Amino acid sequence: MRRTKTTILAAALAATAGVAGAQEGIDDPTRGAYYEAFEGKTVAFLPVAMGIDLTEGWAAGMKEALEPLGVTIEIRDPNFNTAAGAQALTSLISEKPDAIVVHNPDVQSYARLLKKAQDAGIYVVQVNMRSAFSTDAFVGADYVGMGRQIGERLVEICSPDNGKSGKIAITQGVLTAAASIYQMKGINDVLQEHPEIQLVSNQAADWDATKAKNIAATVIQQHPDLCAITGFWDVMDVGTAAAIKESGKDVYLMTQGGGNQATCDAIESGQFDESVVYNVPGQARDISDMIKLLFQNEPEPGAMQTTLFTQLEFLTRDNMEPGSCWKLPGQ
Amino acid sequence: MALTESFVRWRYRLVPDHIFGEILAKRWIDNTIPIVILLAVIAAFGTAMPAFFSAASIADLLRQWGEFALLVLALMIVMVAGGIDLSVGSTFALGNIVGLTLIAVAGWPMWAVVLGTLAAGAAVGLVNGLLVGYLRLRAFLTTLVTLIIVRAIVDMMLLTYSVTIAGTFIESEAWYYPGEGYLLGMPFSVVVTVLLALVIHLVFSRSRAGWHVLAVGGSRRSAHNVGIPVRRVICSTYVVSGTLAALSGLLFASRLGGAGADTGIGMEIMALTAAVLGGNSLGGGRGSAAKAIIGSVTVMIMVNGLVRLGVSAGANSLLLGLVLLGAVAIDVRWLKNRHKLLSKVYVSPTYAKLPEAPATSGASPYALNDKLRPVERIALGEIDGPEDVILDEEDNIYAGNRTGDIIRFFAPDYTRQEVYAHTGGRPLGMAFAKDGSLLVCIGGMGLYRITRDREVERLTDETNRSWFSVIDDSRLRLADDLDIAPDGRVFFSEATVRYEMHEWPVDCLESRGNGRIVCYDPNKGTTRTVLKNLVFPNGICMSHDGVSFFFAETWACRISRYYFDGPKAGTVEVVIPDLPGYPDNINRASDGTYWLAIVGMRTPSLDLAMKMPGFRRRMARRIAPDEWLYANINTGCVVRFDEEGTILETLWDKGGENHPMITSMREHKGHLYIGGINNNRIGRLKIEGADPGWTGITSYWGRT
Repeated sequence: MRRTKTTILAAALAATAGVAGAQEGIDDPTRGAYYEAFEGKTVAFLPVAMGIDLTEGWAAGMKEALEPLGVTIEIRDPNFNTAAGAQALTSLISEKPDAIVVHNPDVQSYARLLKKAQDAGIYVVQVNMRSAFSTDAFVGADYVGMGRQIGERLVEICSPDNGKSGKIAITQGVLTAAASIYQMKGINDVLQEHPEIQLVSNQAADWDATKAKNIAATVIQQHPDLCAITGFWDVMDVGTAAAIKESGKDVYLMTQGGGNQATCDAIESGQFDESVVYNVPGQARDISDMIKLLFQNEPEPGAMQTTLFTQLEFLTRDNMEPGSCWKLPGQ
Repeated sequence: MALTESFVRWRYRLVPDHIFGEILAKRWIDNTIPIVILLAVIAAFGTAMPAFFSAASIADLLRQWGEFALLVLALMIVMVAGGIDLSVGSTFALGNIVGLTLIAVAGWPMWAVVLGTLAAGAAVGLVNGLLVGYLRLRAFLTTLVTLIIVRAIVDMMLLTYSVTIAGTFIESEAWYYPGEGYLLGMPFSVVVTVLLALVIHLVFSRSRAGWHVLAVGGSRRSAHNVGIPVRRVICSTYVVSGTLAALSGLLFASRLGGAGADTGIGMEIMALTAAVLGGNSLGGGRGSAAKAIIGSVTVMIMVNGLVRLGVSAGANSLLLGLVLLGAVAIDVRWLKNRHKLLSKVYVSPTYAKLPEAPATSGASPYALNDKLRPVERIALGEIDGPEDVILDEEDNIYAGNRTGDIIRFFAPDYTRQEVYAHTGGRPLGMAFAKDGSLLVCIGGMGLYRITRDREVERLTDETNRSWFSVIDDSRLRLADDLDIAPDGRVFFSEATVRYEMHEWPVDCLESRGNGRIVCYDPNKGTTRTVLKNLVFPNGICMSHDGVSFFFAETWACRISRYYFDGPKAGTVEVVIPDLPGYPDNINRASDGTYWLAIVGMRTPSLDLAMKMPGFRRRMARRIAPDEWLYANINTGCVVRFDEEGTILETLWDKGGENHPMITSMREHKGHLYIGGINNNRIGRLKIEGADPGWTGITSYWGRT
């Protein structure tokens, strides 16, 4: 017995030595499995809507990272229609892609569908706006923490101690969207500690620039001494910026978003005073990495729940650099 | 027979041209274009995405379809009444947020949530209904305003409650059931929608309320004039619409539970597209649950399919808009042109070659004479169109007229008359039953009995429907002549099932077997068709043997005999195949033979035309009815024949001076009484050698 083992070992050594001796290098032992894990896989991407910097950026990043590996990326565009999105998600469950990347319009609507998807054996990665139901992975900003930081920034900027009025306004997106609902929690936590800051308006513009503009215009008329407005998305806050410009008042506009070049341009031109940026290419990379992880390890869907909070950057004209923002291909 | 002629004969025997017109005349034909569109959409998406119609995919679609179809039904109901409800999308959103608020914030039990949500929808509908129905504001603008107002209310509720709703987990199984549960293996929403669609269908097709809605939509003024409470009907359609929209929103809330701000945005356009695409007219008066269902399926597949195909944002709305535009265009064009097309293609002449007409001169039994010249004129100018005449035991004459009365002329001089009974239709053939009541075929109404107390009673106005007939042939359109078998069974002819009474010349143009003979059995109370595909069956007369009857087929110019009892039961024998004219009524003669009225003589031109169906069709399509070739019904005669079909005697009035236009004759006590459908008199002629005591009643029923 021992003799046989020794013989085999010797033979194996000899064979390895032979290959090494030929000086052809050695193969990476994980390489085959790596590529095999992605071959023929499908990832479906269900954003709130295409045609905006965030979703286009994620889609481009995922394509860049995953398509060369043989993964098909399918995009379903419900165009800001939750019902259509739910329809698309329902259809996806029956089509059974290997993973769904979902961008929730609010915390409730997709919750049970996501559970069904996971029960059907599909990996679900949520991006940027999470649902009440937690799935395999979430990639996006820590909105509660972000709200807290924004709250503190506002206190800093508008405190009567600094000679400001202390009046601030908030323009939320869709009220029940994760970005609004969690962020409000963070802001409220801070404001409770600072009674000197007065929240004069807290409304929802449903991610719509026109609505945001109307809201801001009204608030500025009601409170000519308004110190700052914080809006929950830069695309929407283009409207807020326009209202501020029209009013001719000096209102500090603090916005947030994916940090596309358009944001840097707006800061440069003074439309925005400050923007909290969660880097979209970084998020796209996180999403792709999560998918790679899931496809390679193949855990039971829902077995491990990972949260990857994106680092935030508070971008102002002072700390902005030429490379601070990113561009879409062809932008 | 020439080759081309036999080709024509087979072509018309094999190709049922008339079916096309009959299908086009159907009410459900309105659904063809929507169904074609639906099939096209299915084919398009089925090929673009092979997995689209997999069982799992369809099951997913169904639940959402249930919600959407409810909205389309809601809109359809309002559209049928001539209105429009643009607020369905907002009411849907209201149903969603009210349902969520009641369950998650107020914590009501499920049944109360359902009632509360429906009440909210009904309230919106009531506002619409009061404004549009009672204050008579424009439906379009009014509901556009309520759309905005309701949307604003939804936004305000969202602002107050949405965060609470999003943060609450609803611990109620009943709440999730409508959105996730299955009933009878189908998603709950589908079952609800199908049931409601059935109810709506029954209401619209079978109930007074539904007919009122259709009438109001068809013509508001006429509906008002006939006493329909127009305002209340319109108001109630909006209430129903609002309730259904809220129900749809509640199902949506139960399924997704999301208090999103975009709920229901643009739904009104989707629902409107579906409703119009299904064939519900924007002008009102035309619509059904089936149309709403077809339209909703089409739009559902399109919208869902496009999202799944991954087309870019906006393309979906663009396509929906284009489809709506197309559907409206089709709706308008179809409504305008359907009747034109129908009038063009409904008339479908067929090949109907007649046997050579026998001569009416020389040694022919039909040779002209003047035997009718001495006819007496009874009631000249006092009767309008006595198609048939009959006499009772007191020798009084009964004759129908054009205005729907049966007139009795009193014996012996027939100068006095009275309206014996008013029927309301066009009285045609008559016969006395054993009990002395008068049975009448009434054109446009059916078979009626006038009792000795002058009560007009309906015996039958429908028969069994043929399985493969496209048009509904259960209704009697043109009951023509009847006779009564010894056991009381009534056999009567219906000249045509394709045309109304006044359109009989068009049936001549077709010369197809459109008629039939129907048997009414008073003992069983049943009505059954016994002979079909007869060419304008007209006169019927019981033979003396009591097991068969003779019947005339007018456009086929022949007399046949049908055995309904005895050893030959069920067979038809042609007795006279080649009359020189168009036969009408047949009646018994006192010597055991039969009298036959010939309403008009054949002409070579029309005989030739009968072999040229294409020519007749072109004639019907291209020239005014005044200019058509018609069967001659002005010069006729009376013929007597025996059971073998031998012509025994022919009575002519050559110049037509005393009695032109003969459709019937009745022997009574040695005289012949003659009627004519376009005549203004009743003729009376003494018959040489006839039994002076013979009457029809004794011949049929013995002396009573």
